[in-house]
Amino acid sequence: MQSRPRLSTWLYLSPLHLLLLAILTLPSVYVFWLSLNESSYGTGLTWVGLDNYRAVFEDGYFWRAAINTFLVVTGVVSVELVVGLALATLFASGVPLRGLMFALVLMPYAISEVVAVLVWKMMMDPSIGAIARTIEGMGMGMVNWSSSPTTGLALVGVINIWTHLPFTFLMIYAGLLAIDPSLYEAAHVDGATRRQRFIRITLPLLVPTLLITLIFRLIFAFRMFSEVWLLTKGGPARMSEVLAVYLYQHGFRYGDFGIASATGWMMVLGSLVLASVFLVAMQRSMRGE
Amino acid sequence: MMQHIRFSLAERIMRGLFLTFILIWSVAPILFIVLSSFKRQVDIFVYPPKLVFEPTIDNYLRLGSQWQGFFHAMGNSLIVAIGATILAGVVSFFGGYAYSRYRSRLTSWTAVYMIAVRVLPPIVITLPLFPLVDRLGLSDTHLLLILLYATFWVSLNTMIMKNFFDQIPYELDEAAYVDGASEWQLVTRILARLTLQGMAAGSIFVFVFAWNEYLFAMIFSTNQAKTAPLILSELMGAVDGTEWGVLFAGVTLQLVPVVLLVTLARRYLIAGLTAGAVKG
Repeated sequence: MQSRPRLSTWLYLSPLHLLLLAILTLPSVYVFWLSLNESSYGTGLTWVGLDNYRAVFEDGYFWRAAINTFLVVTGVVSVELVVGLALATLFASGVPLRGLMFALVLMPYAISEVVAVLVWKMMMDPSIGAIARTIEGMGMGMVNWSSSPTTGLALVGVINIWTHLPFTFLMIYAGLLAIDPSLYEAAHVDGATRRQRFIRITLPLLVPTLLITLIFRLIFAFRMFSEVWLLTKGGPARMSEVLAVYLYQHGFRYGDFGIASATGWMMVLGSLVLASVFLVAMQRSMRGE
Repeated sequence: MMQHIRFSLAERIMRGLFLTFILIWSVAPILFIVLSSFKRQVDIFVYPPKLVFEPTIDNYLRLGSQWQGFFHAMGNSLIVAIGATILAGVVSFFGGYAYSRYRSRLTSWTAVYMIAVRVLPPIVITLPLFPLVDRLGLSDTHLLLILLYATFWVSLNTMIMKNFFDQIPYELDEAAYVDGASEWQLVTRILARLTLQGMAAGSIFVFVFAWNEYLFAMIFSTNQAKTAPLILSELMGAVDGTEWGVLFAGVTLQLVPVVLLVTLARRYLIAGLTAGAVKG
């Protein structure tokens, strides 16, 4: 039986909630206040109401960044889910040297975004990169990812998939392992084909896992910054910016805290909307069980 | 899910090809860095890449003699990663205990709030924190990075710990109370030992995150507290044609410890993910 909270309960919870309050909650509430004001380094706040939001919505670069974010996030997350599901199914049905294979597949999880950008940039370099030269050697033309925002963002997508596929795979694999094996035996006895078993048993039972993986990955991909910043700096001509880079440029380069904060607050709302399904489910399970 | 399936030859070939592709995809970039760090400058960008070559530790020697700053940064990374791991571990341990043993409408709301704030994009809080930490004298310090990194993991780690505490029967608590133990003794002496696995699982996430993080490090550390990823990103922009080998040596030193950690402790990663995320 769980007990009703006592004074000691709140003491045990206090370090946790102090950290969250001081570092996440208060600053993000203050960002909302900043977004309703105009300010820069060393200047006071001037109340402007919703002007910053209006300015952001009228800024072509903001829309460019929003569309870029949307395209990269959707692309990255859908590839990861499909490949992650295929890989998890493969592992669950038996691979040789499983422990070793597992370790190798997980490796990119341990790599810093900085290092990931460095190595992919190098391998894709048109004059010295091994991958770029292989593609060229196969007669598919010169690869120069830095020539346009589209190819730059495509490489950002590849790097993102590379670093996060292990996480997606692990989540789905853990969900697969949780499926009761006796279901498969029963289906086998009933003469279900492998395809039927996958579609009738595996997929339906995996829906909650897939949904949580999807939400997690959407939220984390949505805040993407480092890959873009390190690879393209948002260029050429600010055409490959994503929302976090747009925010950074306005906050730390142009010293325009109002615009940056309005963007930030919209990113907060976006993340909360993405998370809402998960939060509602969690609220129910914390109260019910 | 153990399905005993017989695969046809065609299927086995398809499965083999897919697995081979994923293995090359995952490992080749890392192998490229590590091997290049042992190559002479002229061998690094030979095409097709050489797998067999005469290894040299010249790059590492030059890294040691020319780039002292890198080792200072590695030290910073270690301090910050260990600090954040310990702080997040302690905080989530007590949080997980409280959420496992006590419940009311208020505790469940605070738990949902705890997860909700975790979804905020990190870059958003840099805007108000940047001027603030300056005034508090916290900019460019280890402490600030430790606080930031730990905070971004306490939510999930508390959920992980809650799930590990949930697996310990309440009868054990009652038995301890009957024997005259205080709650503090129960938590720190008995339950702590039984939830070590959960702490290990949570610690890996924090350590890997703190060791590799770039955004906060770039914004908040200007000199003294620079971490290894930050230094590497600066070197990446600064090296000219002759220094690639040295850069690869630095990258290798940065990535090897944490790659080993992840591969050796993968069991805990799964335990952590299943407890923290899937069960929610």
